[in-house]
Amino acid sequence: MQEGAKEYYSQLTLDDIRPLPEKQKLPRRPPVIVFNPSRCSGCGTCEMVCSNRNVNMVAPASSSVKVLRAEDRGRNFAILCLHCREPLCMEACPVRAIDKEEDGIVRIRNIFCVECGICTLACPESAPLIEPVSGKVHKCDLCDGDPLCAKYCPEDALHFYHGKSLGWIKFLRWPVQAISFLLLVMILVGTFCYFTAGVVSLPCPTGTLQNIASTKTLVLTGVGAAMVLIVLTFLFGRIFCGWICPFGFFLDLVGTFTPKFGLPKFLKSRMIKYGILAGAVGGAAGLGFQPFCTVCPIGSICRSYGPGGVFKGAELAIVPAVATLELGQRRSWCRYLCPVGAVLALAAKIGLMKIVIGAQQCKKFSCMQCADICPMGIIDREALREGIAPAIPMDECIMCMRCVDKCPYSSAKIRFRWQKTIPGEVKAWTYS
Amino acid sequence: MKNGKDIHEIMKACGAYACVECGRCVAVCPMAEMYPDFSIEMSPRGIIKKALMSVNILEDEYIWYCTECNAGTDVCPAGVSDRDLIKGLRRLAIENGVVKDIRTCRSCGEQYFPVHVMEYISDKLAGEPREFLEMCPACRRKVYLMRNA
Repeated sequence: MQEGAKEYYSQLTLDDIRPLPEKQKLPRRPPVIVFNPSRCSGCGTCEMVCSNRNVNMVAPASSSVKVLRAEDRGRNFAILCLHCREPLCMEACPVRAIDKEEDGIVRIRNIFCVECGICTLACPESAPLIEPVSGKVHKCDLCDGDPLCAKYCPEDALHFYHGKSLGWIKFLRWPVQAISFLLLVMILVGTFCYFTAGVVSLPCPTGTLQNIASTKTLVLTGVGAAMVLIVLTFLFGRIFCGWICPFGFFLDLVGTFTPKFGLPKFLKSRMIKYGILAGAVGGAAGLGFQPFCTVCPIGSICRSYGPGGVFKGAELAIVPAVATLELGQRRSWCRYLCPVGAVLALAAKIGLMKIVIGAQQCKKFSCMQCADICPMGIIDREALREGIAPAIPMDECIMCMRCVDKCPYSSAKIRFRWQKTIPGEVKAWTYS
Repeated sequence: MKNGKDIHEIMKACGAYACVECGRCVAVCPMAEMYPDFSIEMSPRGIIKKALMSVNILEDEYIWYCTECNAGTDVCPAGVSDRDLIKGLRRLAIENGVVKDIRTCRSCGEQYFPVHVMEYISDKLAGEPREFLEMCPACRRKVYLMRNA
């Protein structure tokens, strides 16, 4: 076949007729209906008003919101479209009738829709719905920004709002990190290893452990001073790692620029850091000096800018060597190797705070912004994909609060360990 | 043929005898976009033709590619309801025990959609494991309820 003829016979595809839209910027405040299962009484008012809008009669079967009643467990649940960040129905639709517009609402375009029902099968909770009588496919379009179901819900279980991420924590964290970097590395003579400011002197807990092991003498004041950081970690989680650690600040800075290639498998075990800690303490007992402290990157970066103001070349060389790990994953040193973090992790494991993801019904399986931004990679994508609120291991969490900052649905929260938050946040029962 | 009369009734009910073979349903059929090997065998016109010629349509795997959409019915000048035809033929095929091309729900066992359509969807949504595709819509909701409420 000749070249021209080939062109003539080539078939038009959907890409020629209706090309895929370019990747849009996310709306800053995506609209969403948040459902609170603890308040739903299963009355079905939402179904009634929704079907009234869809087909102009009260027929719950053709409403876009579905109330499931689990009488045996005393809980009711509403299935509704969550207007995903990357909608699966949009990807699957063979005629590209589903659009996500600039206002963040996913809509079915009726003129293009052929009512095949593939969107129903592509949705993880089957939120688009084939109406049983006429075969039409209905999908929530948030009533163009004023959803009736949320308006008429008598118990306020469906609550419509424009999601908004906090966005100010990062403006707090970066200055705090920078200031503590300046304080620990440049200004104060004492370093993080033995932080001295006037009469206050706080030693590093890992260094103290090694010191005890090497000298085999227990100095109570030294232990008490080292406990300050442990107690701080017990109260607030590993905020030292996320907010204060000068090397962590350095890694955060480096990590924002470097591309990520992944790490080899043998490094990917969070138990390695406990092994290094045990090795360091044991080594200290045998050798009579602190073996880890000579190569500790946190200590190196602190000592590098010494009293004479001269960079000590040999010690500073450790810092870029460890920072190359950042090419693997974000904060790979802190995740897998840091023994200072290991001591704090033991304290944080029994600590008072916890981070709760998905306290309300957020767009777990499609949004995943918390999992994307977490520098320690502890937010379980698998659980999010299944629509479960993932449990956060607090011994691995560095309390940087990036997830709290980023979540547009304010469902990442900091709570006390004993507070009950999953699945829904239970507010005081008030009639409005 | 054993089911000749049933097929005749289905064709009569959906008006397939009035088909003028204009091909408008083929022009709008979304299957052309979904399957690269879209052909006369698979197209609504081909299915109607095969049913008219009374070949053994129930054993034919090509009746299982359709998505049961409404596009063909909308444009048909003769008023043939493709959707009803396919639904009737599938029902008859299931009654006769031809179930190899239909996907069964993992949790409740309902036969909910043809394998080929589900394959298309899983191809489109490839990249991440999508376990929910193995369940029927009702069971997905039930699972979602169990996990969250």
